Amino acid sequence: MANKDVLLSVKDLTVEYTSEGEVIHAVNHVSFELEKGKTIGLVGETGAGKTSIARAILRILPEPPARVPGGEIEFEGKDLLKVSEADMQKIRGKEISMIFQDPMTALNPIMRVGEQIAEVVKLHEHCSRQESIEKAKKMLEMVGIPGERFYEYPHQFSGGMKQRVVIAMALACSPTLLLADEPTTALDVTIQAQVLDMINDLKRKLNTSMIMITHDLGIVAEVCDTVAVIYAGEIMEYGTREQIFHDPRYPYTIGLFGSLPDLNSDVERLSPIEGLPPNPADLPRGCAFHPRCPYAGEECRKEHIELKDIGGGHLCRCCRLNEIAAGKAKEV
Amino acid sequence: MANPMIEVRHLKKYFNTPKGTLHAVDDISFKIEKGKTMGVVGESGCGKSTLGRTIIHLLESTDGQIFLDGKDITHVDKHQMHEINERMQIVFQDPYSSLNPRQTVEDVIREPLKLSKRYKTRTEIDQKTDELMKLVGIDERLRHAYPHELDGGRRQRVGIARALSLNPDFIVCDEPVSALDVSIQAQVLNLLQDLQEKQGLTYMFVTHDLSVVRHISDDICVMYLGQLVETSPAKELFIKPLHPYTKALLSAIPSTDIDHPHERIKLQGEITSPVDPKPGCRFAARCPYATEACKQPQQLEEILPNHFISCCRAKELNQDIL
Amino acid sequence: MSVTAVGKDHVGVRSKRQGQFGQVMHRLRKNKVAMIGLSIMIVLIVIAILSPWITPYNYAKTSKADRYALPSWQHLFGCDGMGRDILSRIMYGARASLFLGLMSTIVATVVGVLLGSLVGYYGGKVDNIVMRILDIIQAIPGMLLSIAISAALGSGIGNTILALSIGGIPMTVRLLRGSILTVRKQEYIEAAEKINCSKWRVITSHILPNSIAPVIVSVTMGIGNTILQAASLSYIGLGVQPPTPEWGAMLSEGKSMITKYPHLCIFPGLAIMLVVLCLNMLGDGLRDAMDPKLKN
Repeated sequence: MANKDVLLSVKDLTVEYTSEGEVIHAVNHVSFELEKGKTIGLVGETGAGKTSIARAILRILPEPPARVPGGEIEFEGKDLLKVSEADMQKIRGKEISMIFQDPMTALNPIMRVGEQIAEVVKLHEHCSRQESIEKAKKMLEMVGIPGERFYEYPHQFSGGMKQRVVIAMALACSPTLLLADEPTTALDVTIQAQVLDMINDLKRKLNTSMIMITHDLGIVAEVCDTVAVIYAGEIMEYGTREQIFHDPRYPYTIGLFGSLPDLNSDVERLSPIEGLPPNPADLPRGCAFHPRCPYAGEECRKEHIELKDIGGGHLCRCCRLNEIAAGKAKEV
Repeated sequence: MANPMIEVRHLKKYFNTPKGTLHAVDDISFKIEKGKTMGVVGESGCGKSTLGRTIIHLLESTDGQIFLDGKDITHVDKHQMHEINERMQIVFQDPYSSLNPRQTVEDVIREPLKLSKRYKTRTEIDQKTDELMKLVGIDERLRHAYPHELDGGRRQRVGIARALSLNPDFIVCDEPVSALDVSIQAQVLNLLQDLQEKQGLTYMFVTHDLSVVRHISDDICVMYLGQLVETSPAKELFIKPLHPYTKALLSAIPSTDIDHPHERIKLQGEITSPVDPKPGCRFAARCPYATEACKQPQQLEEILPNHFISCCRAKELNQDIL
Repeated sequence: MSVTAVGKDHVGVRSKRQGQFGQVMHRLRKNKVAMIGLSIMIVLIVIAILSPWITPYNYAKTSKADRYALPSWQHLFGCDGMGRDILSRIMYGARASLFLGLMSTIVATVVGVLLGSLVGYYGGKVDNIVMRILDIIQAIPGMLLSIAISAALGSGIGNTILALSIGGIPMTVRLLRGSILTVRKQEYIEAAEKINCSKWRVITSHILPNSIAPVIVSVTMGIGNTILQAASLSYIGLGVQPPTPEWGAMLSEGKSMITKYPHLCIFPGLAIMLVVLCLNMLGDGLRDAMDPKLKN
């Protein structure tokens, strides 16, 4: 562990929401580490708790109803859950910044786009107005928007360009950690490709680490080094990109791949995961996935299952791996 | 030879906007055979939804002809409209705005049955409602639930049941799964395929998701800014894309195959909107191969059997595969 | 928040089949505040109807000895400048006030909803013409408009209702048109057209139920205003004629003596306030009852 250059280490993070007297367990004991310059992908469906993790790291959860009852978020030696709000404000946007899903609402419609970037720069780098404007123009150019569009308003930009502005804003102060929450979901494929390429380039150039939150396994394959599969607020499987894509072990991960129509091979029917994600206010006992799991057995219903290393840092929260492997072997 | 279920010839739909005339659908022709699925792909603003809506008369066409089972239905009166509506239906993209928030599941499914006057008694309608609910896989206990109490997948099932209630032959599926999570998306796609098999339905499947369209379609149309750029049998399109736009589109999809990273064709610029477009290929502005000749109007040409493209440089650019 | 989108697998089982109206009434009955509002309104209406038989005194009986009498056991609410019993006058006045207030609001709402649906649904030229006419009506101060119409038509009760309701129409149309324009774009409206719903059915069972809420709220707030407007009409000799009592008129008569004899104003004022309050309670309840998204 010691030789790794760990930038962010999340331990046992838990996030709860309280709504109408019910406690919603959005994130349950999530732990992961992120090295400098690397990208981790958090994959999961709507409501799996991916966004809550990112918001907890930035401490922008709405409190109440949200609450972080436990855990540690160690970032460059500081526990982000313990630093003062004033210090946190310095970290936000400067050292850690976030790209939100919807570029349409992330920009202020009555402020020139350039000014919005310059404002971030000025706030964090304490430079003069002129310098901040220069920097903002440079950022715009870096994301492929001509500097003279500095003085335009968001409505004059297309969706893809707005998202680039948002990215320029997020990268303006060269953060060491970038949280990208479904950054391309609202964009068309060709524009998505442009934006992903750009993010990859910039990351390499600036040596930024990134947490990529997405539901799209294709995006994970393109940009992530490690992958955490999130289900019902828990990490169910964790491993390098190769481990997850070549050898998915957890039934939900396998199910996700089965649900995906493949561009290169023919299947008559998809094999979807039956049923629905569980109600986070009333999670099932034992493994949270067992009601939908085709391999579920008695022991899955009884008690909570721990993440186990199944070789080479590939973690999996399943007690029936042998049975699953046997079942697969039979199919072949 | 039997008539195709749907045929459109030179279909146009223009909108008058303050900025000029928007050519949302511009001179599009194709056929969909009975029992088949035609996938229509393209990026936002390419007119694919407008095309679907124009065919089923949710929008009035500006020019061109629409045939349903060999019959010209371009211009119809109110009475004929009712007949067409019983044969052509639509499933919408947004499972949140496609259901009236004040109608329960049962209300939604019963309404078309009641209005059709095909069923004489309440029991008959009830029976048919039960049948439809079973068909699309909605539990009996959800009969009196309101849309906001259902998840996206179930709402989409209710929308499908409504579309099926009048026993249509042809259904326009307008991005029916793009608002759903992957696992739910697969459930709904399977349902649509099962229904097609059981009831011999013909689909026009509008989507921006190329992997979905490959999975479900027999033939595919690729649209760009209101024009049809390429149409071909589904599998062939993915093996032998001929139009530069199709190639770029295919290369842009993030692939889950991590061992064979594909080379990406980088497109410059953004999709504009087809307001008062100049003649010629609309993709030319972003096309790496554009020449002077591309500024002339392009013809749809059959280059391989059943594989049409509208690009004047197609033959020279694709010498290696043709 | 993304958390709310999942876990809807615990939908309560509703077994009874009810029409939309039945469901609304069922939910309304569970709303205590609305039911209190409704009960008080019913009591007020019953009082208004029975007033000729149940008032303690004749509403028109003057008495020199009782001029400006303060509230006492004989005259619970006191007496006015002509020695008439205020309680009796309020009870009897409920007839004119409630009738005028409710009827003109109902007329304004019915016409407003009809016009609003028409322009909201059809748009285009119809929309332009109707809205410009309404612009003209709205450009004239409401009071002036009522005075002009009453003066032109004369002072009967029907004419007064007409005079009061015309001023209220543009507001309703505007509110409804605005919310119809958003509802119209929803896909379920397209779907309704495709399952062969007639235009009438599309409007009444798909568009209106989803766009009427702001109108209900504004209507219940508007009734109090209408009662006051009716008062102004009688003040200048149009509308309800003295000696028939009417709350607004009582209020304006008492205004000049408000420092010396505040009870002349307080009681009719309280009566108007009570009506407005009850109708607001009822209106809010009705709006909530019509929205299935709100849990009881």
